[in-house]
Amino acid sequence: MILQSLKIALESLLSNKMRSFLSMLGIVIGVGAVIAIVSVGTGSTRQVTSSISNLGSNMINIFPRMSRGMFGQIGGTSSQDKFSLELGVYMEKFCPSVSQIIPTKSISGLFIYDDVNTNATLLGTKEGYLEVNNYEVEEGRFVNKFDDEQGNQVIVLGSDLAADLFEDSSPIGKQLKINYQGKIFVFEVVGVMKEKGGSLAGNLDSQAYIPLSVAMDRITSSSNVSSYIAQAVSSDKAPAAVSELENFLIKTLDDENKEKFRIMSQDEILDTVSSVTNTMSLMLGGIAAISLLVGGIGIMNIMLVSVTERTREIGIRKALGARNKNILFQFLMESLSLSSVGGIIGIGFGWIAAYFLSKYGNWPMVISNISVILAFGFALFIGIFFGLYPAMKAARMNPVDALRYE
Amino acid sequence: MGIVMKIENIAKIYHLGKVKVEALRGISFHVKEGEFVSIMGPSGSGKSTLMHIIGCLDYPTSGKYFLSGQDVSKLNDDQLALFRSKKIGFVFQQFNLLSRATNLRNVELPLVYSGVPARERKKLAIKSLQDVGLADRVAHLPNEISGGQKQRVAIARALINNPSIILADEPTGNLDSKTGLDILDIFQKLHTEGNTIILVTHEPDIARYAQRIIHLKDGLIDREEMVV
Repeated sequence: MILQSLKIALESLLSNKMRSFLSMLGIVIGVGAVIAIVSVGTGSTRQVTSSISNLGSNMINIFPRMSRGMFGQIGGTSSQDKFSLELGVYMEKFCPSVSQIIPTKSISGLFIYDDVNTNATLLGTKEGYLEVNNYEVEEGRFVNKFDDEQGNQVIVLGSDLAADLFEDSSPIGKQLKINYQGKIFVFEVVGVMKEKGGSLAGNLDSQAYIPLSVAMDRITSSSNVSSYIAQAVSSDKAPAAVSELENFLIKTLDDENKEKFRIMSQDEILDTVSSVTNTMSLMLGGIAAISLLVGGIGIMNIMLVSVTERTREIGIRKALGARNKNILFQFLMESLSLSSVGGIIGIGFGWIAAYFLSKYGNWPMVISNISVILAFGFALFIGIFFGLYPAMKAARMNPVDALRYE
Repeated sequence: MGIVMKIENIAKIYHLGKVKVEALRGISFHVKEGEFVSIMGPSGSGKSTLMHIIGCLDYPTSGKYFLSGQDVSKLNDDQLALFRSKKIGFVFQQFNLLSRATNLRNVELPLVYSGVPARERKKLAIKSLQDVGLADRVAHLPNEISGGQKQRVAIARALINNPSIILADEPTGNLDSKTGLDILDIFQKLHTEGNTIILVTHEPDIARYAQRIIHLKDGLIDREEMVV
């Protein structure tokens, strides 16, 4: 009987194509929007996630926290004076999940080459910086252990900085002056880095790299580093590495409340980013779901009109032997067909929208099966839910009155 | 000849707000197999109400109605629907064809609801349309044919279930007199083939096509008349 009702329903829908199309439009848009939005959400999240993982491998940053002084001033006793080279060595030694600790010393200076002057960050660091940051040399070499021991005044330039200072000519072997608080230091350029993009510590491309010993002993005459970059032995061990570092620093710095240091891992950033994008997807998905609901109400509206308009048809069918159930199923099948065909068109529509949006936004196109199943299922549910009342109204009609209806 | 339908003291009372309308006030008669009977009366005499009850479209308020030996006055909606699809063939004044369905589809509709398989339905419907001389109008829509042809489609539809009674309600009311006579000739032919026909009309000339006329007046049988 259901098959028979379906056939009758399809016949009547096909005989009124324009109205059928308009009434399913709400569902088409709703389902399409759900699929496109969820796809945009997951696609962009995936893109952000991959660019974050690209920043470095199992990288954990450890920064000093400025201690809060009286009246909101930055206190004189910054914990930065506890951030020594030795502390880095100890961290590496006592935290088994950490494979290496790279101390960095960040200095801001004025770079001078010929008549080009530019302010940039000068980062004193060690050779391992490359590995931790997934960073590669484009031309020449990076600072090495030998430079550090000898205190060689050599410098490696980020790609943007090299372009700013030297434009098209190769900077390798050139002499570069750096003005730090009135003192001039001369460096020999030994390398240029590949382009990298943003990172946790700012844009690496606009920095320059020098041996740590030069930055600490010669330029700033300081025994403190600016931060440590720790590398976990593997990505599984990253959470363990974080808690080992945390426990070690709490004990060593006698800092129960973690007021002197801050640890930031890639996982933490990923969590933040994905929670933000998840909230966005959820919110947009909710809006799309509301449009599905509105589509359902549209179907109910059309079905009610259709039942009234076809009162006489219902009377004829009943006079010829249709039972209440036959009429109920006929109209239920009509609304179900509308919503399911609308749902299928909506899936195609959403797929196309997701495709163009992913091209436009330059992220991978991801259509999640769950969103398709959910959107389609919801559309079917709406077809039944909003079709039931008009169908019941049709089924309960008295045949005598229905036949008399003009 | 056996009795096809028999009604005993049928009454129908409508309540329109506080007003009580007695459409039928106790009617009894029976129709034998193969008989051609007219029910005649002016408008307001209760003939439409009577036709609805005989056609299993409505319930009597009181009284008994036997169709093919079964008491149908106590049946529920679904059981009445089953009786309509198996025992009654309707021919209406307004034709009552589905305007968006082809003639073939219209004729086979009663079989759809009595569960006859599609292939057999089609065969029977084509044969039925041939019987009323519309073999070449099978795939047309009702809007594409004349009024007389529409009524013939309706007759083909009424015949397709081999009903116990053919119930015709003013079948010529929407036709010109020439076409109306053609339709009445078809009923005459159906009668000679052994079908039982009940014709409801207010026109004496048309009522005389039957063997027997039941005159209704104010919800009661006024008199019965045999046509000679």
